[in-house]
Amino acid sequence: MTPISTSVPSRPFGRLLNVVDDFAAGWNRIGGQVRFYAETLAAVPDAVVHYRTELLRLIAQMGLGSGALVVVGGTVAIVGFLTMTTGALVAVQGYNQLASVGFEALTGFASAFFNVRLIVPGTTSVALSATIGAAATAQLGAMRINEEIDALEVMGIRSVTFLASTRVLAGVIVVIPLYCVAVMMAFVAARFGTTVVYGQGSGVYDHYFGTFLSPTDLIWSFFQCVAMTVVIMLVHTYYGFTASGGPAGVGEAVGRAVRTSMVVAAVEIVMISLAVYGQSGNFNLAG
Amino acid sequence: MVSAQVAARPFRALGGFFAMSLDTFALMFQRPFAWREYVIQTWFVARVSVLPALMLTMPYSVLLVFTFNILLNEFGASDFSGTGAAIGTVNQIGPIVTVLVVSGAGATAMCADLGARTIRDELDALRVMGINPIQALVVPRVLAATTVALALSASVIIVGLAGAFLFCVHIQNVSAGAFISGLTLLTGAGDVLVSLVKATLFGLAAGLISCYKGVYVGGGPAGVGHAVNETVVFTFMVLFAINVIVTAVGIQFTVS
Repeated sequence: MTPISTSVPSRPFGRLLNVVDDFAAGWNRIGGQVRFYAETLAAVPDAVVHYRTELLRLIAQMGLGSGALVVVGGTVAIVGFLTMTTGALVAVQGYNQLASVGFEALTGFASAFFNVRLIVPGTTSVALSATIGAAATAQLGAMRINEEIDALEVMGIRSVTFLASTRVLAGVIVVIPLYCVAVMMAFVAARFGTTVVYGQGSGVYDHYFGTFLSPTDLIWSFFQCVAMTVVIMLVHTYYGFTASGGPAGVGEAVGRAVRTSMVVAAVEIVMISLAVYGQSGNFNLAG
Repeated sequence: MVSAQVAARPFRALGGFFAMSLDTFALMFQRPFAWREYVIQTWFVARVSVLPALMLTMPYSVLLVFTFNILLNEFGASDFSGTGAAIGTVNQIGPIVTVLVVSGAGATAMCADLGARTIRDELDALRVMGINPIQALVVPRVLAATTVALALSASVIIVGLAGAFLFCVHIQNVSAGAFISGLTLLTGAGDVLVSLVKATLFGLAAGLISCYKGVYVGGGPAGVGHAVNETVVFTFMVLFAINVIVTAVGIQFTVS
C-alpha cells in the first residue's frame, strides 16, 4: 500500500513520538472509561426518577432476550441451561473422581460446596456477559453508528442516563431471579446426575448436601453475582457507547466487550472470594 | 401460515447449519486449499486470544485452588492441593477458558467480518467470480479456530498450573515439593488427551457457528451486531453441552 498523504513531512523522532502518542491515547482511554463508569453510576437515581418507563421496558426485554434468542427461551433459559450443564459436571467429574479414592458418598457435599462458591458465580458471569451484556453492546453500538445517540442528545435526553444507567440498573434487577434459577438448576442437575444416572442412594446424597449447604455462603455468592452484573453491564455499555467503524465495528465491539468483561468479572470473583472467605475459609467440616 | 413459518424457523436454521457444516467438511479435503487465508486467520485468532486467555485462566485457577484448599486444610491434607489443582485445571478450566476466549475473541471477530461482507454482497460477488465462499473463507476460518484452540489449551493449562503453584506455595504456604508430586496423583496422560480432544472439538464448534451466523446474517447493519450476540450465546451453550458429554465419556477411560 502506498502512503496517501505524501505531502505531509515526517516528524523528527517520529517513531519515539508515536510510542509516546500511543501511550497517551491508552492513558486517556482509561480515563474516559473511568469517567463514563462514574457518570453512569451517579446517574442511576436520575434514571429511576425520570426514565422509569424505559427502565421497565429494558427489564422485560432483558428477561426475555431479543431477536432469535427468544426462540430458545430467552435469557432465563440460557442461564439455566448453562448452569445446568456445569452442575451436571459436579456429578460427572466429582462422583467419578471421588469414587476413585473411595469417597463417592461426599458428592452431595461437593455439590453444596463447589456449586455455591465456585461454579455458579463463574458460570453466571460468563452467561450474563454473553446474553444481556452482549445484547446491550450490540444495541448501543447499532444506535451509535446510526447516530441515534446524537439524536437523543439533540432532543435534550441525557443519553448516558437514558441508555447506560437504565441498563445497569435493569441488569441488577434481572439478575436476582436469574441467580435463583442458576443455583436451582445447578443443584438439581448435580443431584439428578448423582442419584439417577450414577445410582447413588438419594438419602446419602441429601444427607451430605443438607449438612454442608451453608446459607451464609449462598448469600455471599448472591452478592458476588450482583457485583459482577454491575461491572459486566458497565463494561458492555461502555464498549457499545463508543463503538465505531460501521457494522463490522459493532461486531468487533461486542467481541472486545465480551472478552474484557469475562476477564474483569473473573478477577472480581477471586477478589470477593478472598475477601469474604479469607485465609481460614469460613468453613467448618463439623457442620 | 405465518405462525407455521415462524415455528419452522429454528429448524430451518438448524438444517442450514448442518448443511454448511457438511459443505465445510467436504470442501476441507478438496484442492485448492486456501493456505494464505488459513495462516492469516490463525495468526489473527491467536493474536487476539493469547493475552485474554492467560488473564482469564489465572483468576479461575487461583479461585479453584483457594476453594479446594479450604477443604483440604480442614482435613489437614493441604499437601494434596496439587492434586486438586491438576484435576480442575487440566480437566475443566483449561479447555473451558480456552474456548471461552476463542469464541469470545476470535469467533465474534470472524462473525463480524463475514457478516459485514455478506451484507455488502461481497460473498455473492465471490460466487459470481466462480469462487466458492465456503471453500475460500469458511474452511480456513474453521480450521484456524480449531488449530488455535488446540494450541492454546496447552499453554492455558501450563499457565493455570503455574498460577495455582505460585498461589499455593507463596500465599497459602503449601510445600512446593508436595504440590508438584501431588500433580500427577490422579491426573495422567489420559486426562491430558481428553482435555486436548475437548479443546479441539470446542474450537471446531465455535468456528462453524460463527461462520454460519456470519454467512447467513440478515437485517442490515443492525443485524451484524445481533448475529455476533447470537454467536456468543450459541457457542457458549454448545460448548458447555459438549463439555458435559465429553467429560462423561472420557472419564470412563481415565478414572480407573
